[in-house]
Amino acid sequence: MAVRPKNLREARDTYRTNTELAWWVFMRISGLFLVFLVFAHVFINNISINVATVDYDYVASRLARPSVKVFDSFLLGFALLHGANGLRYSIEDYLKRPGPRFWAKLTLYVVTAAIFIMGVMTLWAFSYQEMGDAVRNLGSGL
Amino acid sequence: MYRGREGQWAYFLHRITGVALALYLLLHVFDITLVMYGPDGPFNAFLLFYHQWPFRIGLVLVIAAVVYHALNGLRIILLDFTTWAIRYQRSMWYGVLGITTIIGIPVLIKILPEIFGGA
Repeated sequence: MAVRPKNLREARDTYRTNTELAWWVFMRISGLFLVFLVFAHVFINNISINVATVDYDYVASRLARPSVKVFDSFLLGFALLHGANGLRYSIEDYLKRPGPRFWAKLTLYVVTAAIFIMGVMTLWAFSYQEMGDAVRNLGSGL
Repeated sequence: MYRGREGQWAYFLHRITGVALALYLLLHVFDITLVMYGPDGPFNAFLLFYHQWPFRIGLVLVIAAVVYHALNGLRIILLDFTTWAIRYQRSMWYGVLGITTIIGIPVLIKILPEIFGGA
């Protein structure tokens, strides 16, 4: 399906299921949010600083902050869903044979789910302040 | 269907930047998850590897892809949800390329010396 609907009315006519229509709408709404989220993310971490100075301490000090956790959670969720659905469109456009298409989509869903779970764990399951303190205390105790 | 005009190039660039950004995103989230292993974990070694200049050039290309994909995405939203935008779709695409270049120049001026200045 290389020709995609060009407006909301065509999208309603094209997609037989409400799920596909919902994804079509989601790509536009999440895209709008992602413009602001990703531009801010790139500016903060890549342009306002020299990216070569990024190390464990920089990332841990940012992930220790609740505001960054919330911001990055929205970024993670919107970006992964938007990206994974875009890859799904690409798979459906270029892989016509049912076998390769099935395995490509299964791989995509498994990898996306795994990356999402790991991302949420990274954001919410660790106290980077405590981890840093623990290692520093270990070092000073020797 | 698009017969090789601007609309087809806009679509092609949107598709290829989108696929590239999605694959980059998966790798990027994965490498950030390595901070879970703490300060003595593999994170710093991993980052040191990616601080080599070929990867930093790659990162500049990722930023360029982000800017193009974002601006052309806004163009697509206008085309989809307004009745008037379709008349300007061609000039809006040149606008997307123009604004991408205008944003790109100061970014390159900031980042290229960091890569090649030995910083």
